Amino acid sequence: MCGIAGIMYKRNTMDAGVGNALIAMLDGCQHRGPDSTGFALYHEPQPGLLRLRFFVGDEERTEDRITRIKAKLAEFQAEIVDESRDGTTYRVQVKFSGDLKAFSYAMEHVAKVVSIGESLDIIKDIGGAHDVDATYKVDSFEGSHGIGHVRLATESDVAPEASHPFWATGFADIAIVHNGQITNYWKMRRRLEKHGFEFNTDNDSELIAVYLAEKLSNGISLRDALEDSIEDMDGTFSFLVSTKDEIGYAKDNLAAKPMVKYEDDDIIAIASEEVSLNRLFPGKPLNTVEPPPGTFNTWQKSI
Amino acid sequence: MAKIDLARLSVTEANKLIRKYGAEGENVDVLNPDAKHHIGVGLVHPINVRVHGSAGYFCAGLSDGARFEVENNVGWGLADNMLTGSIVVRGNAGAIAAVAIRGAEVIVHGNIGSRAGQVMKEGTLLCAGNANFMAGYMMYGGRIVILGQSGEKVGQDMTGGTLYVAGKVNSLGTDAKQIDLESDEDDEIREMLERYQIPFNGSFQKIVNAGEKLHYSRNEPRSRSQSFFMASGTSDYWNAKVQTDIDIKAQIGRYRIRGYGATRALPHLADLAFRKDLSQIPADGEVTKKIDLKTEIGARNGAEPIKLSMPVMIAPMSYGALSKSAKLALARASALSGISENTGEGGMMDEQREAADQLIYQCLSGRLGWNIHDMQRANGLEIYISQGAKPGLGGQLMAKKVTEEIARIRGIPAGIDLRSPSRHPDVLGADDLVIKVEEFREATGHRIPVSVKLGAGRVRDDIKIAFKDGFDFVELDGLQGSTGAAGNEVLEYVGIPTLSAIQEAMDALGEVGGVEEMPVVLMGGIKDGLDAAKAIALGAHAVAFGTAAIIAGGCIACLQCHVGQCVVGIATQDPEHEKRYQTNVEAENIHRFLEGVRWQLATIAVAHGYDDIHQLDRNDLVALTPEAAAITGLPYEPGYRDTKPQATRKAS
Ligand SMILES: Cc1cc2nc3c(=O)[nH]c(=O)nc-3n(C[C@H](O)[C@H](O)[C@H](O)COP(=O)(O)O)c2cc1C
Repeated sequence: MCGIAGIMYKRNTMDAGVGNALIAMLDGCQHRGPDSTGFALYHEPQPGLLRLRFFVGDEERTEDRITRIKAKLAEFQAEIVDESRDGTTYRVQVKFSGDLKAFSYAMEHVAKVVSIGESLDIIKDIGGAHDVDATYKVDSFEGSHGIGHVRLATESDVAPEASHPFWATGFADIAIVHNGQITNYWKMRRRLEKHGFEFNTDNDSELIAVYLAEKLSNGISLRDALEDSIEDMDGTFSFLVSTKDEIGYAKDNLAAKPMVKYEDDDIIAIASEEVSLNRLFPGKPLNTVEPPPGTFNTWQKSI
Repeated sequence: MAKIDLARLSVTEANKLIRKYGAEGENVDVLNPDAKHHIGVGLVHPINVRVHGSAGYFCAGLSDGARFEVENNVGWGLADNMLTGSIVVRGNAGAIAAVAIRGAEVIVHGNIGSRAGQVMKEGTLLCAGNANFMAGYMMYGGRIVILGQSGEKVGQDMTGGTLYVAGKVNSLGTDAKQIDLESDEDDEIREMLERYQIPFNGSFQKIVNAGEKLHYSRNEPRSRSQSFFMASGTSDYWNAKVQTDIDIKAQIGRYRIRGYGATRALPHLADLAFRKDLSQIPADGEVTKKIDLKTEIGARNGAEPIKLSMPVMIAPMSYGALSKSAKLALARASALSGISENTGEGGMMDEQREAADQLIYQCLSGRLGWNIHDMQRANGLEIYISQGAKPGLGGQLMAKKVTEEIARIRGIPAGIDLRSPSRHPDVLGADDLVIKVEEFREATGHRIPVSVKLGAGRVRDDIKIAFKDGFDFVELDGLQGSTGAAGNEVLEYVGIPTLSAIQEAMDALGEVGGVEEMPVVLMGGIKDGLDAAKAIALGAHAVAFGTAAIIAGGCIACLQCHVGQCVVGIATQDPEHEKRYQTNVEAENIHRFLEGVRWQLATIAVAHGYDDIHQLDRNDLVALTPEAAAITGLPYEPGYRDTKPQATRKAS
């Protein structure tokens, strides 16, 4: 129940206006999801440093939560180098060089993790693209790529933690935005759980993220992982995935969920509707393509 | 040429202007469209509209007679339900281009997305590029011309019409076949290509329906008529009806199709009682004058509400399932009693429009009989998602009832066993539904309430979606709801009871703070004013009568509605049978029944000391069975079952 958008600037740069571009694209399809908005942004990675963001709420128990997070960080010898409170979240950057999966599962057990990565930072909250921007200052964000999501809450609550993008729990720097419904969700989840993976929500987008991340961690390329996903997953889906240096999409065999793509020498942009793409080029007719059913593709940052 | 700049105006403002220029006969240029949705929706004047750029969803949708040109791309649902006129798109079109068109010419110079021409009835979709997946899916008529590749599963489950493909036919859909082309068909296509200046010198392959799925191989036999009320007997597993079910299945080798609803015993409103001892109330002929039962519904988003003299509606029932005479009797009765009538599936009749004072117009997945002109003269627009008798399935009308006249109004071939699609072409989720609802509002100038009809399945979720998507009200139908035709097992077992449905609906609205904002109209086994009052006490804003209204109007409940030979002239399209129906007499009968409902409602409300029927409250009720208590959360008080006042009853 939602709209998705993603963009990558192909020039080898970290100073493109990714934040502003995503705000414009998501505002353009806010009618598909007025309840919450989210962004997956990629900072320049700093070797040896890890970014973590947690939901801590904004009421009394917030301080307790932060204390617990700090204690756990200390337990893993993750030394805090930077921290801040934004909106309902607590953000830290730590020195860390251990087993990331064990570390992130342990963090998940004491707090609500939004994202973990060397460069990934997921920002998501209740409200429209401009509301979230007002709190978290997404507009000033510069980078090379990112993805975003607007959500219409139907079955579950309107809560920050139910919004997208989803981080691939346990795997750094992988994020997903998804429009649709995976109908063999439990079957796939149990299969992954048997292999020791943990899930923090019942959201099918988290499943896609973990499914892809598991493949990537086994050395499978993002392209091949996306190709497999179309066969393995039942249901209706159009999703975008991003990693530190790649973005990709996959679309189900029935083409039940919309997706439009625009590409030129400088950018690749994908969104649920052309109206979002047009926000990047007001007044200009675009040469766009609707990806056919059962297809996928990826784009890599030029190095 | 008038210029309209979408960088300055909202689409709603722009459409208002386009319609104004349309009425004045002035052509329009739309600047800076930037792929916005609903451009030109609802236009019914033959002007030229040129869109300088890309348009979004439903461009030129629900329009009649205009000539559109779009310089670049369009989104989903291009020319949705367009009646006449044309649209030329220079770029690509998204999914379901030309969905449900009924005569227009839709020309796309680039490629078209999936399911192009879904449920189209007449007219042409011409694509100079390649088509995607399932072009011509469930089309009923008209033609689709594709100069490039056909895409996979072309012509999937088409009923009528023709596809012409010049490029590769990637694969044929089920029930589609390839045949030879006649030379005059070829000439007609080339004439059109020339008219739209599309150079072409290839040749075509022709694809039509293969005729394997248009009819059930065997029909239900005429069986001895058996009363529904006998059928609902005492045991749920072996009874006279089960016997008939098995007999019929032995003859036809598939599920039995029949009319009416679940015969099983289910928890229902009869399992609740008012705490107030109604048997002590003296009969009062004047009671309806002592309370105002007037109910308005549908103003949530500022539309003109439907005005009811009491919180009662006639349930949507289709012209098709019912005869024209029966529909007219319902329409007249509704006007006599000051309530609303509903077209159900299959379109609006002029006589019905005239006879009914308040008329809701229903839009189903097959878009049968759906068009902009009838939308504009309706008092309410209703998107049918499902109904209690068969949640998840589309309408069903057996061949005998699909006469030339019915087929013409619906825009389909006559004489087929009609199974309408189970889902809407353009509603695959709550996000698409938002855009669809907005299209209806745009097309009718935000003047007419838009409701949704829901069969009770996952009510809690569905009601929240309806609330989120901004519907003005919901028509909620429980498992006991009837139908003109559905598979027996679906009727008996799919869905949840009416009582559970209203409780889940109110709980869900409570969770999202929508109780006051979005009214629910309850139906499904509501048989009198007492049931209606209980439904209202549980939180329904109004109720609707289906079965009760047609029984009041002469139905003998013989369970043979699907056969089409109804002996009283109600569920038939056969003129010989319909002749027996005395429309005016039955209209009076239905009216009298409705006035009885009014009297009961008034009596119950006045007995409680209320001056507004909506003051009835769940605390006025108790549950008589543990099941009803568990479903509703009302206190289990079996003592209230006793009709003898006071004797065994203790104050609770
Ligand atoms: C003959 C007949 C035709 C019907 N046609 C439609 C229809 O076209 N659309 C719809 O939403 N419901 C249709 N229904 C269902 C009714 O609108 C309503 O949900 C049901 O009759 C309510 O239950 P009740 O019959 O117990 O009052 C039909 C019902 C009957 C009996």
